Amino acid sequence: MNIIVCVKQIPDPETPAASFKVDEAAKKVIPAQGIAPVVNPYDPQATEAALRLKDAAGGGKVTVISLGPDSARDAIKHALAMGADEGVLLNDPAFDDIDNFQTANALAAAIKKIGECDLVLMGRASADWDMGVVPLGVGQALGVPVVSVAKAIEKTANGVKVERVLDDGFQTVEAPLPAIVTVSNEFGEPRYPQLRQIMMAAKKTVQVWSAADLGLGADATGAANRVMPLEALYVPKVESNVEIIEGDSPEEKARNLAQKLRAAKLI
Amino acid sequence: MDFEPTEAQQQIRTQAKALAGRFDDAYWRKCDQAHEFPWEFYEAFADAGWLGIAMPEEYGGAGLGITEASILLEEVSASGAAMNGATALHLTIFGLNPVVRHGTEELKQRILPDAAAGRLHVAFGITEPTAGLDTPSITTFARRDGDRFIVSGQKVWTSKAKESSKVLLLARTTKIEECAKRTDGMTLFLADLDPKYVTIREIEKLGRHAVDSNEVFYDDLPVDARDVVGEVGRGFYHLIDGLNPERILIAAEALGTGRVALAKAAAYAKDRVVFGRPIGQNQGIQFPLADSYAKLKAAELMIRKAAWLYDTGQPCGAEANMAKYLASEWGFEAADRSLQTHGGFGYAKEFDVERYWREVRVMRIAPVTQEMVLNFIGQHELGLPRSY
Ligand SMILES: Cc1cc2nc3c(=O)[nH]c(=O)nc-3n(C[C@H](O)[C@H](O)[C@H](O)COP(=O)(O)OP(=O)(O)OC[C@H]3O[C@@H](n4cnc5c(N)ncnc54)[C@H](O)[C@@H]3O)c2cc1C
Repeated sequence: MNIIVCVKQIPDPETPAASFKVDEAAKKVIPAQGIAPVVNPYDPQATEAALRLKDAAGGGKVTVISLGPDSARDAIKHALAMGADEGVLLNDPAFDDIDNFQTANALAAAIKKIGECDLVLMGRASADWDMGVVPLGVGQALGVPVVSVAKAIEKTANGVKVERVLDDGFQTVEAPLPAIVTVSNEFGEPRYPQLRQIMMAAKKTVQVWSAADLGLGADATGAANRVMPLEALYVPKVESNVEIIEGDSPEEKARNLAQKLRAAKLI
Repeated sequence: MDFEPTEAQQQIRTQAKALAGRFDDAYWRKCDQAHEFPWEFYEAFADAGWLGIAMPEEYGGAGLGITEASILLEEVSASGAAMNGATALHLTIFGLNPVVRHGTEELKQRILPDAAAGRLHVAFGITEPTAGLDTPSITTFARRDGDRFIVSGQKVWTSKAKESSKVLLLARTTKIEECAKRTDGMTLFLADLDPKYVTIREIEKLGRHAVDSNEVFYDDLPVDARDVVGEVGRGFYHLIDGLNPERILIAAEALGTGRVALAKAAAYAKDRVVFGRPIGQNQGIQFPLADSYAKLKAAELMIRKAAWLYDTGQPCGAEANMAKYLASEWGFEAADRSLQTHGGFGYAKEFDVERYWREVRVMRIAPVTQEMVLNFIGQHELGLPRSY
């Protein structure tokens, strides 16, 4: 079974709020000083799913792709250290500041270029922007079904059977292959790489493809061609005040509180 | 000159950090308070094959160098695991170095794969209450009895003895007064910590409570002759072969602990507002932290150099000693400044810096004291007369 896993490198979600800054004029997140970016936490779960499906099928290949800066190689290396077979980095200045639609198109072009692929696995969302739309865009571009937020995936005779996580329960769906499935944290803990595999992964070369390698022209990339222009980027200001409600008895305190809340039109 | 880490070294750093990151400060606070060996942490590293990082591949290890092992232990300490985490691993990582270098093939086959897989725990029994740093004056004695030795004596500070089934034990096989040189006549054994002949008594200590240190009494413990490591009578020399890598790794652990203490201090100094400004805006707070940052970076360079010399087969005694000296001096200083930066909260367990402070303090004493390092530098680097 040939599987492609898409992984992304993101700013560490554990970055303390005080270190998280944006450049409002440039509309960019300023990388936090001394805090290295990490693999999007859902992506190792997608890699784990790919490795288990490959094992269950008794063979095949797991290829990892990531669109991002040079440092995104680390996200690919992580998947290789877990046991994935090959890695491709989509890296080009033309990819700077592109939006979800352009990202989806570039990933779809890479998946086509790789060719033989039964299944594409992705994280349910990336924990930086948390939109979860890129997988749908890839599905659209490739014209294949997308099953989102999986907690279990099983290969069947005709395709895949996927257990999806809903707000109020689970849903089991089947899809023909090729398909795209996004994997959720309910899938279970991804494996931690073995030192031996870390060493093997370090020796593997990650191929690098540019926009031109993917056949993407100037009109398909670049911040100027965003489908979804970024109007403004800012950290919302949260102000909090503390007021101690006085009163001689609990009842009086409650009455005073209720009056305050009503005056503030909160109740 | 090339300061660039290799791809593999970079990956080791990233992955060691990720795995250690699964165990947060709350985990270590709990292990420390409960005096509980960090089994879950230990097993996670054992299962992923990290314990054998510097052991040869033919015995189940990864065959990497002290550079890689130092990166691992630095990241483990810097995760907040500090010495509780580092000691749990490092006894396996470098404690068995004399076996790797001097053990018979049979002994290596019998011991190393189990140790690398984390199934076999081996403690390190050198220090004695009456000998102190003057190792040749140890009195624990192993007398020959056919094809075995019978060991009697007392060791102190043997760490992890309670969890270990074996101990790498240094004993005299010839009395000091009968030796041509006082460093002759000692033998290294890989002995069983058999409760029938061995009594272990835990020492109450300042910190690093997750890993016990003990007084260990040996009462006619039989040790098979095939468990002699290296040559009979040459134990001291076999032991000092392993001292340089040990010093480098200890230095890396002090560096990691200093790093986490300093990072906590910087974060706190940014957040904590007193007199209407973040405390880190005061130079009285900011300068010591900046000074520690520079010192830790310098210690790191000495560690890298010492490790590189060792891994490329060059003499590294001076560098390994200086790395240990600088990293433990400045690692402790960083922890102390972090504690001061936190004010009263630094004294509270909840903020963890007091734990780093307690743990990194030991590196100025063990496995060798700062004074003995200065003795070494004075004598061997400066050519001054030996002072002891
Ligand atoms: C937490 C912990 C864990 C340990 N784990 C182990 C272990 O697993 N296995 C093991 O074998 N040992 C272990 N040790 C022991 C450690 O290696 C010794 O404590 C250390 O080597 C110092 O020896 P000592 O305590 O006997 O000090 P002493 O030799 O009594 O020295 C006392 C002081 O005098 C100074 N001094 C002595 N001679 C001189 C001199 N000539 N010039 C200048 N100053 C001098 C020393 O530097 C020191 O400051 C551990 C110790 C600790 C604290």
